[in-house]
Amino acid sequence: MMKWFTYGFRAVAAALMAAPIYWVFVIATGKQGAAYSIPPVWRPLFHWAPFLYVWTHTPWARYVLNSAFISVSTIMLVVVTSALAGYALAELKFPGNSLYFYVSLGVMMLPQQALLVPQYVVMYHLHLLNTYTGLIVPFAASTSGIFLFRQFFMKLPVSYREIARLEGVSTLTYLRRVAVPLARPAVATTVLLTFISSWNQFQWPLIMTNSPGLQPIELALSHYMQAYQSHWRDLTSAALIALLPILIVFAFTQRHIVTAVAGGEMGQKE
Amino acid sequence: MTDRDRTVTVGPRHSPSWMSGLAQIRNQWKEMVVGYGLILPSLLVFLVFYYGPALFLLYIAFFHWNIFANDSTFVGLHNFSVLMHQPIFWQSLLNTAYYVVLVVPVTTLLALGLALLLREARNLRGGGLSQALVFLPHVTPVVATSIIWVWIFDPNFGLANAVLRLLHLPQLGWLASVHWALPAVMIYTVWHSVGLYTVLFLAGLSTLPKQVMEAAQLDGARGWLSFRRIVLPLISPITFFVIVLATINTMQTFSQIYTLTGGPHGGAGGPAFSTTTDSLLIYQTAFLYEHFSLGSAMSLVLFVLILGMTLVQKLIADRMVFYR
Repeated sequence: MMKWFTYGFRAVAAALMAAPIYWVFVIATGKQGAAYSIPPVWRPLFHWAPFLYVWTHTPWARYVLNSAFISVSTIMLVVVTSALAGYALAELKFPGNSLYFYVSLGVMMLPQQALLVPQYVVMYHLHLLNTYTGLIVPFAASTSGIFLFRQFFMKLPVSYREIARLEGVSTLTYLRRVAVPLARPAVATTVLLTFISSWNQFQWPLIMTNSPGLQPIELALSHYMQAYQSHWRDLTSAALIALLPILIVFAFTQRHIVTAVAGGEMGQKE
Repeated sequence: MTDRDRTVTVGPRHSPSWMSGLAQIRNQWKEMVVGYGLILPSLLVFLVFYYGPALFLLYIAFFHWNIFANDSTFVGLHNFSVLMHQPIFWQSLLNTAYYVVLVVPVTTLLALGLALLLREARNLRGGGLSQALVFLPHVTPVVATSIIWVWIFDPNFGLANAVLRLLHLPQLGWLASVHWALPAVMIYTVWHSVGLYTVLFLAGLSTLPKQVMEAAQLDGARGWLSFRRIVLPLISPITFFVIVLATINTMQTFSQIYTLTGGPHGGAGGPAFSTTTDSLLIYQTAFLYEHFSLGSAMSLVLFVLILGMTLVQKLIADRMVFYR
């Protein structure tokens, strides 16, 4: 009895959480005007024609490419900077080692909304406003990435590094050939976390860019939203474009993502 | 050749002691240089784009400032006194307070409830799927999901009012109404973030020591009693962490307010400034109306408020949290 109660309760909770995303499909692939029926329709028809129409009649491909380019570049930079700093923190003794641990932790504590004005001024003086670089480089280092790699490298046997040192292998080669390939789970986690945060990027590009050519998908979507108020099928179709990559990645890696995100936030707690 | 052979040939064993000392210093020196080199890339990003601006904020908040002309005059507390005389500034703080005071406890309680539920049912079929679905909203892009929520909150055709109709409750204007727009944003925020906190609670629950739970059960502590007296104290550090994190996050909500309220109901923050919170006001003041001095004064206020909140919570928690 108790078992069925928890079972049912859990199913209801999960369904409620998923309902809004389910309704994106209902409206986007439903009949014209499905959004205006009373009572609301609840069955998706999976008519993809309207979706394809929206996809081809606005330069979404451009925005998707922008987002993809920004995400991929950010991911590559974050993996490199995190692996380097993580290795230094885990394996090397130098004055300021533990200080840097707190320096990178502190970044997470700075309230982002309060920094936007001075950040804008800095971006202006570095001529980074309205550039791809300005959308990528400020996110090229990540506290959770550094911590992940640090934790992983601390678990590697000291002898690996000793051997590399005696063989005269440089630190960078050792990292590229031995340490990073062994830290594949840390790489995967960093890639996933960075992908989610940079694909979902909205406020930063809203403030730091104004040319349509640079717009990532979320920003383009918000302009589209203002132009196509209450054209629900077009709007939800467009939303699908931003949503699908996340849904697909999540479907395949959800276990990993859940622990990664939880772990990334918990990193602050140490 | 084995590793041991190598160490013998290369090791400093046969050299005089002063030479090995020198080698050691050289090694330490080298390690230091390499260490600094490796942290340099991330350090530069942190300094230029985060710590630098944070310090810079302390400076520009006290200046009359025109970034494009690059001229600035020291005005002391002038920016703050201008701010104090803006009713919208106080309104935005009130809106933020209202928002935080409702969202944080609701999200925390809901997350704890969901975590207990998911844990209770973890051995039943579909446990992984349920957890994934509860968590999913947290990773979805805010603008994309706001679109469907604007429809959900549509006064005539939306799901929210359809549900109220079904329950024979009065229907609401949601985003079009001065009283219900901010609660609508709250509902979105709870939906979007509760999965994260649920997962954090689940992580906390999974670390409960088995022996303690079993001993309590043997002593007859079940259900509410065991939860109240054993589970709750044991997970109090996580609870504290969730509350702090939720407070910091909700005090800085921007994207969903911008998108949910920016649509057909007038500019973002409406109707009638009922959803203008601190972050939205900073955005509008600094980047829409280009009052950078005023925007930076506001930013500094927000900065201090958030740090203050965290400190207060820390002080309270030191009395209440049970650390193992």
